[in-house]
Amino acid sequence: MKLRIEKEELQKALQNIQGVVDKKTTMPILSHFMLKADKAAFIMATDLEIALKGPITAEIIEKGSLCIPARKLFEIVKEVEGGILLESQENNWLRISAGKSTFKLMGLPEEEYPALPEIGKTEELNIDAGLLRNMIEKTVYATGDSDTRYTLNGLLLHLIPAKKTTELKLVGTDGHRLAIISSKLASPLSSEMKLILPKKGAMELKRILETSSGTITVHLEKNHIFFTIGDIVLTSRLIEGNYPNYDQVIPKDNEKQVIIDKVTCLKALRRTSIMSREKTNAVRFDVEQGKITLISINPDIGEAREEIAAQYKGESISIGYNARYLMDAIQAMDGETIRFEIQEPLSPTLLVEAAGEGAMCVIMPMRV
Amino acid sequence: MRTILLVDMDSFFASVEQQSNPALRGKPVAVIGSGKRTVITTASYEARSFGVKTGMNVWEAKKVCPKLIFVTGNNGKYTHTCRMLTEIYSKYTSEVEVYSIDEAFLDITGSLKLFGSPIEIGKMIKREIKERFGLNATIGMGPNKLMAKLASDISKPDGLKFIRQEEIPEAIERLPVDALWGIGGKIAEKLGALGIRTCGELGRAPVSLLKSRFGIIGERLKLMGMGIDTSPVMSNEETAKSVGHSMTLPRDIWREEEIEAYMLKLSEMAGRRARRYKLAGDTVTVTIRYKSFRTFTKQLKINRHINDTHEIHNTAMEIIRGIKLSDSVRLLGVSLSGLRETGMPAQLNLLSGHLKKENLLNTADGINDRHGDSTVSWAAYMPYTSRPAVISPAWRPAGVHRTNV
Repeated sequence: MKLRIEKEELQKALQNIQGVVDKKTTMPILSHFMLKADKAAFIMATDLEIALKGPITAEIIEKGSLCIPARKLFEIVKEVEGGILLESQENNWLRISAGKSTFKLMGLPEEEYPALPEIGKTEELNIDAGLLRNMIEKTVYATGDSDTRYTLNGLLLHLIPAKKTTELKLVGTDGHRLAIISSKLASPLSSEMKLILPKKGAMELKRILETSSGTITVHLEKNHIFFTIGDIVLTSRLIEGNYPNYDQVIPKDNEKQVIIDKVTCLKALRRTSIMSREKTNAVRFDVEQGKITLISINPDIGEAREEIAAQYKGESISIGYNARYLMDAIQAMDGETIRFEIQEPLSPTLLVEAAGEGAMCVIMPMRV
Repeated sequence: MRTILLVDMDSFFASVEQQSNPALRGKPVAVIGSGKRTVITTASYEARSFGVKTGMNVWEAKKVCPKLIFVTGNNGKYTHTCRMLTEIYSKYTSEVEVYSIDEAFLDITGSLKLFGSPIEIGKMIKREIKERFGLNATIGMGPNKLMAKLASDISKPDGLKFIRQEEIPEAIERLPVDALWGIGGKIAEKLGALGIRTCGELGRAPVSLLKSRFGIIGERLKLMGMGIDTSPVMSNEETAKSVGHSMTLPRDIWREEEIEAYMLKLSEMAGRRARRYKLAGDTVTVTIRYKSFRTFTKQLKINRHINDTHEIHNTAMEIIRGIKLSDSVRLLGVSLSGLRETGMPAQLNLLSGHLKKENLLNTADGINDRHGDSTVSWAAYMPYTSRPAVISPAWRPAGVHRTNV
């Protein structure tokens, strides 16, 4: 294998796979990526949960392939200047030359690289890249991290077929809060599907979508999902298991509706939560006609209060929240205002986005 | 200067039985457990005069007192009486530490202005207990718990004694060290080896000597020898470090289902007590005593604070399943530590039906508080509810068991 690549092109490609390549692995091969030069050149990286495959622009002098340590090559490429010549040598050595510098890096043969699932003849859906990115952004923050209820460590893609369209619902929850957004897709689907995409897969997908536009294709399989974004294919294993019945926890027919300015609320939360940050992050909302008083009290340190204007006409109510959950939800929402729908101090509160797709977040209060 | 008062009920279980059944009054009565291998838990003073002692088995007791009447203990009756007694104490001071089912410490320092001298308060409490329950109590008073306990011990039964600060040196000078509360046979033996036999000698012993022999408690031993004890009357139950329960089983068991059922009962008792005091813990400790009396504990720390019976039980069973039992089990215990007040800001759960579960437990606790323990219980425990176990001496009325302090 021998190919010439521009520094910027290689650096960008390597940057893209750094998040996929497994750094703490016990399998050395997973800290490598595969570079393959056939008619065109492409690179591949996986941690066995997700896999990323994308093209790379290169002048192919000699066909071939090699598994290369991803981190080390990235460090080298960052420092060198001009065009880079990659050349495989005997015993899986890779010779890297750029300008007057040369490096020798030990690689692994192609055969050692794990076989990645291939897209089969399965159902497919088309979705706008910008829409999908937006939907992920508005839900992924609520997914769990290394929760023992492992299905919570992923983002639910609930696909509900309608006549010639499909409703796509994305749901993320960590058991304390739940974010949900729904959208109609023009593609039809044969049957209802509930797929759980691991958080890492969702985060990688969001990152790739940030620099893409147009329509992407999603292939759905029993154990895997494939996202084709231009020439890039992101594959992810799906989490097996039953996702909680999310619809049940979304409070409905809420009498007390409070409309608050988004930026004002965020700033007030940031300020008041300074006093409660260490231990519990609890902030109390005293909601009255026309205003909310945010209060945080930390017996060991002190307290903070801030009054903000709110559109509200009901009876007064006092309710505690984890400030971080509120800030995560509010930050993810578009529009100038946020609607809070409250039932009782110990029942879930619903936050609704005023603009956009109408993202919602259910937040379980704190007992304060 | 503090004034501490100890109420020690005279042969409590036997006296309660004699009160509830007039035919037993004035006769030698021994209260025994309900199991087959039971021993005497309390003997009435009439029985004691024949030489019947706590811990004797039925056969031994019959030998020294052929006319002895055996009564199977009724724990419900005793715990109820203990609760009622605590109400009486609470009229005199809010600082009440129910130390065991038949002993309670009262800090009456602040009550003297209201009720009169320690002797007068002691008399009033004695009279009220006698009038309401027909029971005799011995009351000991002193400037600290140690001296109050000593005053009670030396004036039993039906006694009333106040050891004043200035009387302490004379009262304890010639007293053998093991007469002091907290000095047991082993420590007394070791002190004896150092030539220390009386409290006077202990109080004069160089602290360095005691420290080199007993380590950190050496200093406390010297203070005890001088009649000094600074330990407070612990009425503030929230300072508890662990909440738990243990029980000697009616018979030795080894089958997992049976152990599981008792663990559920114990988890319920521990959980209920924790809930009553609005505490939740993140560490569950299981105590196991084998038939051979070999006893050990094992604990598991989890990532959240719990006080729900099922969660305690599940964690306890996880511990049990990790133990390879080498013998049949005689006693089981469950306790919760790493306690935190649940009143503190706590994030509620969205998915687990948290509030529903909490309401269920609160309701069940309410029913059991009002109508007696185990009125409402877990179905899994039902096959094993037929016989009550012998009450543990560590029983507290509604109190938190301070096992770690």
